[in-house]
Amino acid sequence: MKNNPEYRDILSLCLLFICFFIPPPYFAHFPHGHGFKSFFNLDTQQQYQLSGTVTDSYGPMPGVHVLIKGTNTGTFTDPNGGYSLLVNNKDILVFSYLGYHSRELPVLGRTTLDVEMQSEVTELQEVEVNAGYYTVKERERTGSISRVTAKEIELQPVVNPLQALQGRMPGVEIIQPSGVSGLAASIRIRGRNSLRFEGDYPLFIVDGVPVNSSPISSINPFASSSGIDPLNTLNLSNIQSIEVLKDADATAIYGSRGANGVVLISTKKGTGNKGKASLDAKFYSGLHSVSNRMQLLNTAEYIGVRTEAFENDGITPTETRAPDLVLWDQNRNTDWQDVLLGGTSTISDLNMSVSGGNDNTTYVLGGSYHKEGTVFPGDSGYKKISANFNLNHSSTDRKFHINFSTNYGVDNNKLFFGTNYVHSALTLPPNAPELYNSEGGLNWENGTWTNPLATLYAPQTIQTDNILSNLSISYELLLGLRFKANLGYSNLNSEDKTRNLMDSYDPDTWDRVTLTSYHSFTKRKSWILEPQLTYNRGFKKLNLDVLGGITIQNNQNSKLSMEGSGYSDDSVVGNLEAADEVRVSNNENISYKYAAIFGRLGINWDRKYFLNLTGRRDGSSKFGPGKRFANFWAIGGAWIFAGQRALKNSPSFLSFGKIRSSYGTTGSDQIPDYGYMDTYEPTLGPGGLYPTQLYNPDYSWEINKKLEASIQLGFFKDRVNVDLSWYRNRSSNQLVGYPLPSITGFTSVQANLPALIENTGWELALSTLNFQAKNFSWRTSLNLTFPSNKLLKFDNLDLSPYRFTYKIGEPLDVAFLYKYSGIDPTNGRYSITDVNEDGRYDFEDQTVIRNMGRKYYGGIQNTINIKKFNLSFFMEYVKQDSYLSDLTITPGRFGNNTTQVLDPWRQEGDNPKVQKLSQSITSFLAYNRVLNSDLFVGDASFLRLRTLSLSYQLPNRILSHIKVNTCTLFAHAQNLFTITNFKGLDPQGGKVVPPLRTITCGIQLKL
Amino acid sequence: MQYRSYIMLILLCFSYTSCEDLVEVDIPDHKIVSETVFSNNETANSAVLGIYNELSRSAFSSGFVNSITVLAGLSSDNLRSTVSSANRVDFEENEILIQNSNNLGIWSSAYYIVYMCNAVLDGLNTYTGVSETMKQKLIGEVIFVRAFTYFQLVNLYGDLPLILSSDYRNNANRSRNPIDEIYDQIEEDLLRAIELLDTNYENGERLRPNKFTAMALLARVYLYLEDWEKAENWSGQVINGTEHFGILNDLNAVFLANSREAIWQISPKGRGEIGSHTREGNVFILLTNTGNVALSEDLFAAFPDNDLRIQNWIGIYDTENERYYYPFKYKIKNAIGDATEYSMVLRLAEQYLIRAEARTEQGKLPGAIADLDIIRQRSGLEPIAILDPNIAQDELLEAIMKERRRELFTEWGHRWLDLKRTEKATETLGPIKPLWQSTDVNYPIPEEEIRKNPNMTQNQGY
Repeated sequence: MKNNPEYRDILSLCLLFICFFIPPPYFAHFPHGHGFKSFFNLDTQQQYQLSGTVTDSYGPMPGVHVLIKGTNTGTFTDPNGGYSLLVNNKDILVFSYLGYHSRELPVLGRTTLDVEMQSEVTELQEVEVNAGYYTVKERERTGSISRVTAKEIELQPVVNPLQALQGRMPGVEIIQPSGVSGLAASIRIRGRNSLRFEGDYPLFIVDGVPVNSSPISSINPFASSSGIDPLNTLNLSNIQSIEVLKDADATAIYGSRGANGVVLISTKKGTGNKGKASLDAKFYSGLHSVSNRMQLLNTAEYIGVRTEAFENDGITPTETRAPDLVLWDQNRNTDWQDVLLGGTSTISDLNMSVSGGNDNTTYVLGGSYHKEGTVFPGDSGYKKISANFNLNHSSTDRKFHINFSTNYGVDNNKLFFGTNYVHSALTLPPNAPELYNSEGGLNWENGTWTNPLATLYAPQTIQTDNILSNLSISYELLLGLRFKANLGYSNLNSEDKTRNLMDSYDPDTWDRVTLTSYHSFTKRKSWILEPQLTYNRGFKKLNLDVLGGITIQNNQNSKLSMEGSGYSDDSVVGNLEAADEVRVSNNENISYKYAAIFGRLGINWDRKYFLNLTGRRDGSSKFGPGKRFANFWAIGGAWIFAGQRALKNSPSFLSFGKIRSSYGTTGSDQIPDYGYMDTYEPTLGPGGLYPTQLYNPDYSWEINKKLEASIQLGFFKDRVNVDLSWYRNRSSNQLVGYPLPSITGFTSVQANLPALIENTGWELALSTLNFQAKNFSWRTSLNLTFPSNKLLKFDNLDLSPYRFTYKIGEPLDVAFLYKYSGIDPTNGRYSITDVNEDGRYDFEDQTVIRNMGRKYYGGIQNTINIKKFNLSFFMEYVKQDSYLSDLTITPGRFGNNTTQVLDPWRQEGDNPKVQKLSQSITSFLAYNRVLNSDLFVGDASFLRLRTLSLSYQLPNRILSHIKVNTCTLFAHAQNLFTITNFKGLDPQGGKVVPPLRTITCGIQLKL
Repeated sequence: MQYRSYIMLILLCFSYTSCEDLVEVDIPDHKIVSETVFSNNETANSAVLGIYNELSRSAFSSGFVNSITVLAGLSSDNLRSTVSSANRVDFEENEILIQNSNNLGIWSSAYYIVYMCNAVLDGLNTYTGVSETMKQKLIGEVIFVRAFTYFQLVNLYGDLPLILSSDYRNNANRSRNPIDEIYDQIEEDLLRAIELLDTNYENGERLRPNKFTAMALLARVYLYLEDWEKAENWSGQVINGTEHFGILNDLNAVFLANSREAIWQISPKGRGEIGSHTREGNVFILLTNTGNVALSEDLFAAFPDNDLRIQNWIGIYDTENERYYYPFKYKIKNAIGDATEYSMVLRLAEQYLIRAEARTEQGKLPGAIADLDIIRQRSGLEPIAILDPNIAQDELLEAIMKERRRELFTEWGHRWLDLKRTEKATETLGPIKPLWQSTDVNYPIPEEEIRKNPNMTQNQGY
């Protein structure tokens, strides 16, 4: 099953060949018809015969539906693309065909009306791709840019835009940390470029405004490792497209911030509709639940395992050692996965927007509401409200242009602090006591257990509001010369509040309990100003695009963390005024300034040969005086050797061909601010100051050199499009803590190290139109990435704090493991090899090196249209190794385990995967060591059906009665199934809340 | 066209600012640059307060399970582990691995304090603005703290790199200076501190070293250097400071904040946590479980039955199978609000014992007996003056050493250092510690330090 994508790929290719080698008659290529002459017939009452031919760029089109607007009268074109109809002078004809854009044309007294239809497929090459400071046609781009549009995103019932992109772009690795909503997904574009985990964030730009995308830290047990994503407040339905810029050619214009790639998010713009306003409304609602569970023991099995463990140890179970055997009911059976993770909750989303305008001015005004419950017990959940506005105006002479957009979002994530329910669900003994006592309060069973529901009395709310605004003004000074200014503003406020209420503690301890609350406030404010000049001119066959500009950016980030304690009772917990003592644990205000000059020169000859030069000079306040500025540049070129114009000279099956290549440098300044300053900060204790770091005023930019080569081909009239790229990124001058002995007062100082990291890889994007007929079409798009990552050089690695994490010649995602040497036949415990035979197990024995990164990954999307039905499904495939979670704890110790422990080692000669059942410390230590060995590392590849959606567009004849333009009914499913060898909850995270399985139904209306 | 004039205006604005200005950031309000810190009295004073705050949480000095108090206690015969944590058991078994993280913790946290002191000295010398009186006081305090820290380090590790400035470029590759040079520096610093500091405690709080504090440490230094006359002299000066100090009759009041017996204490409030208990109280007191460490049977057996310190300074925790004795000098395991107990660093009882020893070594036995009896009587023991007025010199020395063990247990590893300086370690520990080797008297230099610094050498036996 794990080879499914490749298999599918071969299958679809075969189908394609069958399609093309046995071409149905309607694919035949005929010369275009030219019968169009227009005469005005003033007699409007008279009906007369109108005829014509419908073609696309390859020739006549049979089966096109031709309808007189507002009536049921219509016909289909014949095999030669011809049609004829009895029409009235005032009639408007609607030409529609699946997979093509509908066209509406007035008759105006014509007797012949020939129409050329625009296919969505060929249009693929004509799409304007957003490259940030400029746009470029898909067919003419010189850089590596992947794009996902609203269609793929808007129906997904997720909170975060990144989550919706998982698996959809080659070279873009997105990992959702768990099924808990609102957590920051990790994104890596073309691998890890930095030794620092926090140094791999791409640059996020929403409508021209750079957004600080580093997660907001939270003490929540679910969020503590990943943080909260500041992009959550964006409304997914309002995203027009997301472009990811990858190679030097595309990213060098972002200079220092482009090293890890750039993610451009564009929101929807208004469409001029002749003064008429139109209303778009979308509503969906559904259910979600956890998509996976583990096979755990029931009470009978559990008691058996525990009893055997005590027998093996020759120890009698006592009240303190084994409350589960001695004190608790031996027959109670609770499925804790059901109780703690098994909830099914609702999700609903309402989205409305009004758009309208005329030729000069357009606007969109929209709002959305999103709400989802929780799979955990209790009333936690996630809510989001967003509003957006876009106004676009051009002067009649098109010289002046202004665009204003603003996106505002508020979200509220209700969680709880303390226990992580995943751990409880997997390890609570199945005979653990009742949750509630007879009075309805929490049952603590005389202090013999910690009631998992106690954690619900430590509620936590994380509330964030975020506004992103952009104003862009441009004016054409001379022919082709345009001045443009972008002004962006963003402001994010986040408040994280945790209250530890009395009921979260065992009543027996209430006299000793101090009620506390934790608060943290994050503020991020930034503005950016980017005046630019652009010049576009064509001189015969030479076309010139010139761009020059300046960026000035200013960020203010602040964080305040406080702890209140000594509240008198539950009702005032969280009100700092009522606290006996308030302690500030962190208070920082960081200011970051950034300025740059950038430029681009795009030259093409005859739209066939392209050269693109980009450059940027960057200054960042993260570096000391004299080290702040650096230059970044890139050169990219492309040659269209087979296109529509060159078609005659190329093999008939090749409809498009382009090779492109680029080389250049980008940089990174993702290090803490103020590192070059010799500073003191207040100590946690009263009245004191402490020196924060050794300071080095001399460090400077990390440099990332990117090389890329690519070939783009279109076959069979662009029904098959292939884009194959190879890249090599080398990132040097790594900004790391340079190791120092502690006698200097610190263990490291921020410095540039001549460490070199290389990312290479192959990326394939393939899109095919497998089949197209009158009422049926089937498209497939596939992407596949083979990444490779290697640490090429690191001077004095074995002296640095990174020596246990990295190894020269190995990827950065590497694990050093003990060598598992089987179950020791003398005592039945796991054993590992003491490689250096020093009698101890330490890092020197961790000699097995395994690459824990992805080996290859991809996604495949299929879209099938049958009449008014549309079925699409998307699958993600990842080939990887991971820590396999076969067991939850040491087999035999207190706590539930997987059914695997039913087959443990019992006597010499046994060769199972589970050691002798035992609750002793020695067994515990043996298990803990083996967790870090190659025994539990193995294939955790998976194939996941990410999305499946089915929609039905109501026919026009029904709609015309109710004055609705379009109405679509849809059903959508997320994470329906995952095929994997991995035994734990989620192959991407191990023992985390697995991605939620969500099923929704909804309706989309346009009025 | 008016658009054009706007554009010209914007372009004009840019031409007035230089590029450097655009990326120039102010110092954020949660940070202060050194130059500002050391250009006025208040902030310079805060930089020194920061050192005391750091001492309350720093690994070597906090009194926590990874502090000298616990680890050196384990290395001697005073403490035992009640839970098997390899990094601590190594100390107990005197088999410390060069990778031991607790050992690295002592070393690096102590050198961080040295760095903080040096940074204050460098700051005060580089920048101007701090008044001369304040400067003298601050310099006096930080060279005292530096001397104190080096005293701990040199007694645990032997030869040390003697770091006296804050510039890492000069310090990163330093080799070890011999013990003599370290002691010369300690002596010089303490003498200077005595000169610079005055005799008062600020606000009645015994948290900042004064002239007496420096004298008290200097007395100990001379004792260790076997300069008996000076040791007697300096401890005598402290003992004579009766306007501040006195031996308390109530044993339970000794470790209270600002007790009259205290010469220097560290406030637990310096940790900046809600809890206001001392780490020692938190680690040692056993209430609901057997904790991490307990007193050794050997130490408990060293107390005569009628010793008041048994009831007052030793607690008992019983489980089904076993009895645990724990240090109960600090009475509070957990507290919030104001701190009622401070961590004791230097106290008067030790000064009496120093003088008793110094006098004995010089043959001044009656004076020595008088000093020793002050401690004995407070503990309810019969005075030597009555019990054995004609005690021989070596017997008296032995009695003093026994008294030191009983009086100063679980305070800064006194027992471990006493065994080392009197060269009784092998004799005393050899029979009870199966893995004992004579080279174990010095802790190993942490492996990381040797790997990072080509000029660093390892102690013998590792």
